[in-house]
Amino acid sequence: MIAAVRRAPYSALLFALVMPGTTPVRAANPAARALDDAALPPHAEDVVDYTLRATLDPPTHVVHGEGTIAWRNTSGVPTRELWLHLYLNAFKNDSSTFLRERVGGRGSVPPEDWGWVDVRKLALRDPGGSPIDLWSTAELHRPGDPDETDVRVPLPREVAPGDRILLDIVFDDKLPIVVERTGYRDSFYMVGQWFPKIARLERDGRWAHFAFHHLSEFYADFGTYDVTIDVPEQFAVGATGPLVASRLADRRRIERHVQRDVHDFAWTAWDQYRTLREAIDGVDVTLLFPPGYERVARREMAAVRFALPYYSARYGRYPYDVLTVVHPPEDAQEAGGMEYPTLITGDGPWWGPAGERMPEMVTVHELGHQWFYGMVATDEHSWPLLDEGINQFAEVDAMAKWRGDGSLVDFSGLLLSDAAVQAVGGNMGVHDEPVAQAADAFSTGGSYERLVYARTAAVVGTLARVYGDEPVSRALGNYARRYRFQHPGPEELIGAFRDVMGDRAAASLRTALFDKGWVDYVVDGVWTHEAEREAGVFDHDGKREKIEPGPSRAGGWDSSVLVRRRGTLSFPVDVELTFADGSTRRERWDGDGDWKRWTWHGQVALRTAVADPGDRVLVDMNLGNNHGAAPGAGAWAPRTFERATYWMQLAVQAVSP
Amino acid sequence: MRQLFLRETDAIRARRHPWALAGLWGWQSALAVTVSWPAASLVGATYGTHPRGDGPLWDAGGHALLDFVWHQARGLAPMRASTEIALGVAAMIGLVPMAAVMIAMAYGVRDRRAVGLVRSLEGAARAMPSLLWLLLLMGVAEASTLGVGALIAAGTHAGLSDAWGEARAERVAIAVGLVFVVLASGLGVVHDLARAAVVCARAKGLRAIVLGARVFGRAPLPMWWAWAWRALSALAPVLAAAAVATRIGGRGGGALVVLALLHQGVVLSRVALHASWLAHALRSVELP
Repeated sequence: MIAAVRRAPYSALLFALVMPGTTPVRAANPAARALDDAALPPHAEDVVDYTLRATLDPPTHVVHGEGTIAWRNTSGVPTRELWLHLYLNAFKNDSSTFLRERVGGRGSVPPEDWGWVDVRKLALRDPGGSPIDLWSTAELHRPGDPDETDVRVPLPREVAPGDRILLDIVFDDKLPIVVERTGYRDSFYMVGQWFPKIARLERDGRWAHFAFHHLSEFYADFGTYDVTIDVPEQFAVGATGPLVASRLADRRRIERHVQRDVHDFAWTAWDQYRTLREAIDGVDVTLLFPPGYERVARREMAAVRFALPYYSARYGRYPYDVLTVVHPPEDAQEAGGMEYPTLITGDGPWWGPAGERMPEMVTVHELGHQWFYGMVATDEHSWPLLDEGINQFAEVDAMAKWRGDGSLVDFSGLLLSDAAVQAVGGNMGVHDEPVAQAADAFSTGGSYERLVYARTAAVVGTLARVYGDEPVSRALGNYARRYRFQHPGPEELIGAFRDVMGDRAAASLRTALFDKGWVDYVVDGVWTHEAEREAGVFDHDGKREKIEPGPSRAGGWDSSVLVRRRGTLSFPVDVELTFADGSTRRERWDGDGDWKRWTWHGQVALRTAVADPGDRVLVDMNLGNNHGAAPGAGAWAPRTFERATYWMQLAVQAVSP
Repeated sequence: MRQLFLRETDAIRARRHPWALAGLWGWQSALAVTVSWPAASLVGATYGTHPRGDGPLWDAGGHALLDFVWHQARGLAPMRASTEIALGVAAMIGLVPMAAVMIAMAYGVRDRRAVGLVRSLEGAARAMPSLLWLLLLMGVAEASTLGVGALIAAGTHAGLSDAWGEARAERVAIAVGLVFVVLASGLGVVHDLARAAVVCARAKGLRAIVLGARVFGRAPLPMWWAWAWRALSALAPVLAAAAVATRIGGRGGGALVVLALLHQGVVLSRVALHASWLAHALRSVELP
């Protein structure tokens, strides 16, 4: 919050100073300037430093780890405890929170081989004294809850704000067969969430700790990771951060990777990896992929070639020297489609046609996480929408800029856009539960995907289409730059939109995310008839005159259109009217109110009306009622009939003798 | 087949029987329309009042299309069922128009005129029991070949993936699978030759298969290639039309008319290629 105020637009600060004690109602502020990269902090606050050595033993699939953790209390209050995440214990047995939940989605298949982490030693190294064992007093699980992923470690003394402690740690990971992003398959290793990881201590002294829930991802403090990886010499290694030292000794490959300003560290090793390297936008990009996947690897490299500079321009410069893209083998797909600092994993079969964009889409998506998960570093457990949702919009936006209307599928005449898929997917779940809730509050994996990913992307996409791509780009760009390394919450996101786009857009965003907001524009009636004279009994100049109904002398047509807005969201929309002579006319509705009627007299009959003809409101619940016609207009679908008949003819030929 | 006579071998040509080909096209089109009409009606009920009609459904990006499919899922489910039924009918009843075309190509009446539609259909109806029996027997043989191929391909993949890597193992498995696809297509060629024997030599049951196999066995590669080049050629217009359809997108009016003509040209060209192959099969069997 402190950082947020410090970097708030100058105009907003001035307003707050002039009007103390009031709640300013801010309108759109076109002058809310776009922050540039000069505003970026050079480094994150260094809270926790891990210096670890990981030794892989392939026959037993065990990683032996040991080293030190230096942790600093950056909160405003002293603490007498630490919370450690032992994520790998999620795969230890069926009693873990992760495996008990199994609400669908990723990781729902039972592990083929169990995985866990055994902490052998956790000791506090006190200056001038002997190490104090902490593990013997650690609370591995809560009473009545057998889950062992969230461990409380009482400290023998208080750690005051600003104080730093040093811990010695020794542990053994028994890796599972790849499940939920981590594990082994034969000699392939994707090692993520593998070390005892200190939870984040918030500024107010509250530990942001949580069990590893089925739909949850992660949250941690920034620091420096200095990790030495020791594997058999025939293995190739990929890891977070640049390789700073490498040597072969005793038929082992020993690599040291060091990276500051990150909040996690993952690595991979395999004796089958092929490699592709390229410098892109000043970043050394390495692609690790299975034999035979050269074509997919080239497609993924092309995706990085587009997206890395694109994201850097839009959300702030990529601050690291390296990026590693790992394409897991097909039978380890669970490791694919995941993000870690400076390391992402891709997905897609080697035989996929070029028009099916899965390798590109996954790469662009996971790369986007480097900004929202990696640098902005929101709490993925409490607010998954801030990472997966906003990043889904970033993916949709980038894919559209790169590949146009066929951003998801461009195959044999069928062009499907990522935006369309997210729009319809998000609408499917909008009434079920709010988008803005913790990962473990979602009822199912499907609901999580529809709302966190698709709905968030569609809502932000709607703002971009209705109010313009530039302001949304500026709002998200400011958000990503202003809160780089700051762990913001949803209020900071909404505030960034308010600063640039005003109260109405911010209110729409809040309603859509927190209150299951939805909208459906409906053309509820189109009427047209020949103009008639005014009939009835009229008193003129003392005389009473009765005029019978009949056509107007002036001729022409009287027409009207009724458009309704159902739901709790409102956006300004155009309504396009088409007349019998083929001419068209557009009316603008600000979207306020429940309905709007247009009535007018003209020389040509009205035929049809279309609400939102430009398809700007992606979140419109039903596009099939966005249009209407005056009575007598046709109801025929020639394109559908033509194509359906043709495809059916081909199908009949295929099965006919 | 009284009052009919078999044409000379060289005279059995598909191109000499445009009305028979048109009949085959008509049968396929009629079946297709029975399925596509309800689908078009459903779309028309929703998008008929749009100034561009159902144009938005065919716009690039697919938003309206996906939205429509989602909202009409319950209406589309019975259409899927009726499509499956129609295709099942096509596989079985389709033997009649196929046999009718073969009769039209193979036979003439005494004044050298072509066999009429009614008599072609009568002949086809008479041949149906034998053709159905062939369909059952050869269908099982072809499906079994493909099934065995799939199993061996899967085994190949499983056996090689550790040593060779997945992608290479899958490529080898696909190659192995393709061998069985070619074998199954060879059985399909024998099947068509047996059909020709049923229609022209009035062979029944196993004798038809033996005749077909004997013809195939005399020159298996040329015979298979005579089928294969036509089958491969039939793919080209489909791909070309798809490229044109991509460009036309959701446009209506003249563009839609052009697309419809192009599509029907594709269907007719495929009918002609199929009939050409059937004529080749008829020419190849030993006629009585």
